[in-house]
Amino acid sequence: MRVGAPPGPARDQAVARVLGRRRYRLNRLIEALCVAATVLGVLLLASILLTLIWRGAAGLSVSVVTQSTRPPGSNGGLLNAIVGTLIQTGIGTLIGTPIGLLVGTYLAEYGGHSPMAHAVRFVSDVLLSAPSILIGLFIYQLVVQPFGGFSGIAGCLALAVIVIPIVVRTTEDMLQLITPTLREAAVALGAPKWKVIVLICYRAAKDGIITGVLLAIARIAGETAPLLFTSLGNLNWSISLTRPMASLPVTIYQYAGSAFDDWVELAWVGALLITMGVLATNILARVALRGRRTS
Amino acid sequence: MSETMSQAHDQQTNWGVSRPDTENTVARIAVRGLDFYYGNNQALKHVDLDFPDRKVTGVIGPSGCGKSTLLRVLNRMYDLYPGQRATGEVLLDGENIIAPDVDVNALRARIGMVFQRPTPFPMTVYENIAFGVKLHERLSKAEMDDRVEWSLTRGALWGEVKDRLHASAMELSGGQQQRLCIARTIAVRPEVILLDEPTSALDPISTLKIEELIDELKNDFTIAIVTHNMQQAARCADRVAFFYLGEMIEVAPAVQMFTAPRERRTQEYITGRFG
Repeated sequence: MRVGAPPGPARDQAVARVLGRRRYRLNRLIEALCVAATVLGVLLLASILLTLIWRGAAGLSVSVVTQSTRPPGSNGGLLNAIVGTLIQTGIGTLIGTPIGLLVGTYLAEYGGHSPMAHAVRFVSDVLLSAPSILIGLFIYQLVVQPFGGFSGIAGCLALAVIVIPIVVRTTEDMLQLITPTLREAAVALGAPKWKVIVLICYRAAKDGIITGVLLAIARIAGETAPLLFTSLGNLNWSISLTRPMASLPVTIYQYAGSAFDDWVELAWVGALLITMGVLATNILARVALRGRRTS
Repeated sequence: MSETMSQAHDQQTNWGVSRPDTENTVARIAVRGLDFYYGNNQALKHVDLDFPDRKVTGVIGPSGCGKSTLLRVLNRMYDLYPGQRATGEVLLDGENIIAPDVDVNALRARIGMVFQRPTPFPMTVYENIAFGVKLHERLSKAEMDDRVEWSLTRGALWGEVKDRLHASAMELSGGQQQRLCIARTIAVRPEVILLDEPTSALDPISTLKIEELIDELKNDFTIAIVTHNMQQAARCADRVAFFYLGEMIEVAPAVQMFTAPRERRTQEYITGRFG
């Protein structure tokens, strides 16, 4: 079928040139705005990191990791806070991950579009963006008050509550990315649903789920607010879960605002340690995941 | 199950070369008055069709004619999706397999399926084969090794992967992955193998290998193959059924189907006037 000339007058080259120039200028303008925004963002981030390294490195010494916190002027360290953060982050992750994994599995594999699944998904998303101080208060009401005092385990529970929605979201997303044909292929061999999920889907979604857990660890390692009402902080060495427990973020919070120079310096060191720890976790995970995928 | 297979093997006559009239052979699967619905949308309309024992039955027809749907009824794949339902009878050795009380996992061990795109599991070649076997049998390590070698040999893949059984199956080429999927299906020792456009995502050389494999496998398995490719149906199938808009229009020995179809619509389709 033949089509005649398009309707309307012939193309005016002068108009086309004007439009072309305008398009070119607009393009340059948007490009410049994008570059400016990027530079601003990178500069801010770089200045934070550089200040952190500058001020933090100045206070680094062996005593930081061999001594617990001490009164001002007595050359203390952060050992109790470092160990407290490792314990609370570790236990919080260990409690929150299986719950998050199972809820995410429910949403992706069983719940579907049921009202129950919609409700769970909604609550989980609200929890994901809830101010973490509220989670601290929640555990305060639930654990600290009834059991008569601040404790390490209360801190672990508060952190676990933060972990759950992060793991729920990534688990559900990763499971839903798996092609239906992979599931059908397993079903076609006579596999019951739970074996398809555990043996095939988890394996296919493993990298994404691990990334989600690492994100959660990075998030809770730096949380201060939920610990203020739960594990409180402890100036002495203590690894008892039933007593108040120190942590890096709370120590930073307490020290950074103090009037003593050596405490302020330790706060910088603590901030550097957390940042480097989170960075190292992320880099290690990336390297490990990348290494396996290509092998 | 192996016993019934070897008995069936003993009864086998010299089929294959001259392709005798297949109408006289025993139907391994008999579809009777099958209706199928996606919600309110009827995809199969009162289908009657036999799948003769250890023959290749080809199913052809334009997109949306219900040919893939038919295969998904035969191994109850539609059970995964609420809203999909089948009525009528599908008899496997006389037993109605679409009845609600059928053990679908045991059924799927008897009726295996291979999909359009290769679907290797994210694990090693060996584990891909062992996965299905372990669902239905308890084997020692040595027995499992034998089963893996046997099924990969039958799947025409052993020579290519015997040195990398413990490498990830995702590293195989597309054609190798598809033969792995066939070997994985064979490893469970089904009686029937359903192939849903098994070569449509593959290059011509891989397609040829799979077609040769199908020809070899029909000595032991009853095979149903859905294909868009009429040459493939002519090459592989003993009998061909033509579907159009959810109805089974015509079924005949392949030679007759492609040289002298009875129905006008069949003729129009196979000569490329629609589809």
